[in-house]
Amino acid sequence: MAYVAARGGEAAIQEAEALFRRLNGTLDAGLVQQIERQLPYLVDRVMSEGSLYAPELAALAIAQTGGDLYEAILLLRAYRSTQPRVAYAAPVDPATMQTLRRISAAFKDIPGGQILGPTLDYSHRLLRTDLLDGDAQGEVASEQPTTPESPAILNSPIPPVTEWLRLNGLLAALPPQPPADPALLPDVTREAVRFPAPRAQRLQSLARADTGGVLALGYASMRGYGLIHPTVNEVRLGYADVLLEHPISGVRFSAGRVRVSMAEVVSSHGDTLELGYAATLGWNEVKVIAGAMLDLEMDKPNPHPAHDEEFVLYHTEPVESSGFCIHYKLPHYVTFSSNLDALRRAREMAAEESE
Amino acid sequence: MRLQQLAHPRHDYSYAFLDEFAKRELRRRILKAIAIPGYQVPYASRELPMARGWGTGGLQVTLAAVGPTDTVKVIDQGADDSVNAANLRRFIARMAGVQTTTDTLAATIIQSRHRIPEERLREGQLLVLQVPVPEPLTHVEPSVTRARQMHADADYALIWLELHEQLVRYRTFTGGADYPVVVYGRYLMAPSPIPRWDTPMLHQAAHLTLLSAGREKRLYAVPPYTDVRPIEFEDVHFQVESQAGRVCAQTGAVNRFMNEVPQPDGSSRYILSDTGYAAKLVRRTQGEVVEIGATYYDEQGRFYHTEFLHHDD
Repeated sequence: MAYVAARGGEAAIQEAEALFRRLNGTLDAGLVQQIERQLPYLVDRVMSEGSLYAPELAALAIAQTGGDLYEAILLLRAYRSTQPRVAYAAPVDPATMQTLRRISAAFKDIPGGQILGPTLDYSHRLLRTDLLDGDAQGEVASEQPTTPESPAILNSPIPPVTEWLRLNGLLAALPPQPPADPALLPDVTREAVRFPAPRAQRLQSLARADTGGVLALGYASMRGYGLIHPTVNEVRLGYADVLLEHPISGVRFSAGRVRVSMAEVVSSHGDTLELGYAATLGWNEVKVIAGAMLDLEMDKPNPHPAHDEEFVLYHTEPVESSGFCIHYKLPHYVTFSSNLDALRRAREMAAEESE
Repeated sequence: MRLQQLAHPRHDYSYAFLDEFAKRELRRRILKAIAIPGYQVPYASRELPMARGWGTGGLQVTLAAVGPTDTVKVIDQGADDSVNAANLRRFIARMAGVQTTTDTLAATIIQSRHRIPEERLREGQLLVLQVPVPEPLTHVEPSVTRARQMHADADYALIWLELHEQLVRYRTFTGGADYPVVVYGRYLMAPSPIPRWDTPMLHQAAHLTLLSAGREKRLYAVPPYTDVRPIEFEDVHFQVESQAGRVCAQTGAVNRFMNEVPQPDGSSRYILSDTGYAAKLVRRTQGEVVEIGATYYDEQGRFYHTEFLHHDD
């Protein structure tokens, strides 16, 4: 199949996609349901980077792309950009959200308690090869998935650890300000980011950012390129209500619940503590921890790239970075020939000189 | 009232894919870009169902501008039939229900990656160029914040310095495609990675050119009949790629932008880069009556604005 097809480019596209489908098996609703049910962390990663909370559509995107995550994220984003905004939800209050997991590394115990929740953090990472032989049973999954109604979930309010820090004067008090009107927040999906970015856009960008990119830059600063000495003040996973106001009666009601994750990182700076924060739709622990650290680092003086908001936010955009990377597969023979022309001319000049 | 009633009824995509809010935003940005030639106007840049960096900026402009009576031509490296051009063209046709063509003269909108057709565009035609890197200062100033300030101050000293360094080191300008230009005597502009052969075509052109970078979220314009000058010195001039001695193996054409096609024996063969133009030349030699427009360069390689190009040789 010709790359720059002399004729019949469209036929080539269709054949290429058909071959992709043949190699990757049949798509059906069962597969999509299974992905949504059994690979929730994968679904959450795609929803976070795809910037759309829609578990079923994220699972479909994963299935449809054979698990190529950048493609799946693009599918979700492209779908998202066709959807009008019908309403603005109220901000989520971490204290009152339904918390499933909540830990602090800064203190042995915290008001509300350390809640380990669902995690593999302290499990032995051993492959269960016995499952492959088919003679062993995996752990029997409970019939009911964990939902906000399950007893494991604490429905009583749990104050954030920062509240205690503020009470003790370790963290600057929040400046008094009226509650944010979500409709007035600058929105990265409706206007291009200009630097220095408003904090809302910075946190939105981190929420949508590429997990690997955020980790790479965050890890660089953790490893020693950073200027902060971070401690994880709190990591929290839970369910948050999407609270809307009824357009006529004005009554606040819940339109549904979403999985959310957030991290707070503190770092001592002279005689005070500084706070870094990140939150995402879905449970994405690594991303929110690295993102919260970058949130702190981005205010520091250069020269490390992670101290530069423009550098961090531009280069951790998954759709833009992956798209530009793969665009190098497109033919570039015109630009290349233009470069060759300039190169040959420079050589001629050099040859003339040496004569 | 229920939430379901608040939401749109489920429907297929909007005309030309983008919703009306996105189209309105784009059209406003385009008007601003036309009013300030060469100035990069930020826009939200929606995700489209194709990869970022594959022409989504150009595509958004085309989708915001297209109407049912338009005729659209899409080229990539000059070719109508490259896989990428075919893909963009079928998307535009599917979403906007427009006629498509490979004939430059028949098109009302031409979306292009890396080329301008050989036949002169006329008034009323729209050329949409896909842009990978909209910032001409990127190589000398990677920070977008600082580059914006330099544009505001018309401080282009670093670019002139770079040009001078090229002369000192190589005795010639070493810029390939995407050669920087100054628009209307004010803004330095990246003309997108068109070869230098195409750069003069933007100068005092009869048509409107819109350039759009989806990934970088900026668009800019060269309005009709606007001065566009490549950066050069008074005594050392900008040069287009030499096409001397190159004869198209398919059509016998000369002094057009040629693709160099490496041959197994180490030699090169040349064919026209502009496939729509090549196809018409072929049909004419087969005896068909074909309308072929005036070209930017004549058969001797002279540009139609005779004063524009200088030859140092």
